[in-house]
Amino acid sequence: MNDDMCGTVREMIPDAVAGRLPTADFEIVDRHVADCGECRAELELAQLVFASRPRVPEGLLERVLASAGRSRPQPSHAWWGLSAAAVAALALGIGLSSNQAAVAPVDVPGFAYEVEEGDIWVSDDGLLAGAPSFDDLSDDALLQLLDELSVTTTGGSA
Amino acid sequence: MREDERWAGDPSDQELVHAGRSGDDAALGALVRRHHAAAYRVAVSLVKDDDLAQDVVQDAFMKAFKALGGFRGDSSFRTWLLTITANEARGSLRRRARRHETALEDAGTVASEDVGPARAAIAAQEAGRARVMLERLPEKQRLSVSLRIEEGLSFKEIGEVIGSSEGAARVNYFHGIRRLRELME
Repeated sequence: MNDDMCGTVREMIPDAVAGRLPTADFEIVDRHVADCGECRAELELAQLVFASRPRVPEGLLERVLASAGRSRPQPSHAWWGLSAAAVAALALGIGLSSNQAAVAPVDVPGFAYEVEEGDIWVSDDGLLAGAPSFDDLSDDALLQLLDELSVTTTGGSA
Repeated sequence: MREDERWAGDPSDQELVHAGRSGDDAALGALVRRHHAAAYRVAVSLVKDDDLAQDVVQDAFMKAFKALGGFRGDSSFRTWLLTITANEARGSLRRRARRHETALEDAGTVASEDVGPARAAIAAQEAGRARVMLERLPEKQRLSVSLRIEEGLSFKEIGEVIGSSEGAARVNYFHGIRRLRELME
């Protein structure tokens, strides 16, 4: 049997067994497996896999619909453009308000976010660090900024 | 018109996502109706436990909807949701393994070897046997076979779900099929 044809048919087998293949392509598969035992065996196996797919439990749809109503989309990272001082205030606020309930992390794929890789990183202390940088600020300027934010420092380097 | 009938036609996922972002509950409901079965099959393939799989699906949808504002649409909503589902399923297995102070592999193996009366009856049929054998494949091969045959995902989409390249997804699929044939013989 022609290896190229086998390769083509094997690519189409999953869609053939699930009824997702256009009629013309299905006929190609049908004709080929009539003469090719290897591809026919693979087709039969794929049919078994498709036929044995788990049935969705009754009540799951209603359960998910009910919970979906409680999970509204949250706004995207609109705060990203905040000024350096505002970001600092936010970061320090998070650090100082340990009594507040933590926001549960949302485990979603990285490629889903609008933020490009490199725009965001996680600092060693677990706080989100943003694009604004304090590297250029002198110690005095930094202390003045902290003073303006009414933050009491307890020692250690800023 | 009832709210859940507003999206009764055949809107694209993209349209539903757009409406859902704006707070349209009916659009979110339509996304659930369209994708909950695929999400369940991915979840149960990974956790091998019906109750746990249902929890996983529920949590995956909740997380997806909460994060919908940041969904950029580079992948399809379905691929994105199934990726979240797979991550959630793996997280559930890790949490369960920690609770039972057993290794992750043990948690999966115990469930897959748990052949109760109902399951044994199904396994008596060829399709049931294929399912049992499929569950013995390594995770990436198992998911590649399931996602390609049952859900019709492309190898590129499968790669996104299992965390590998398109080529690796293709290799996992064909290795899985070959191994499955050996197990069935």
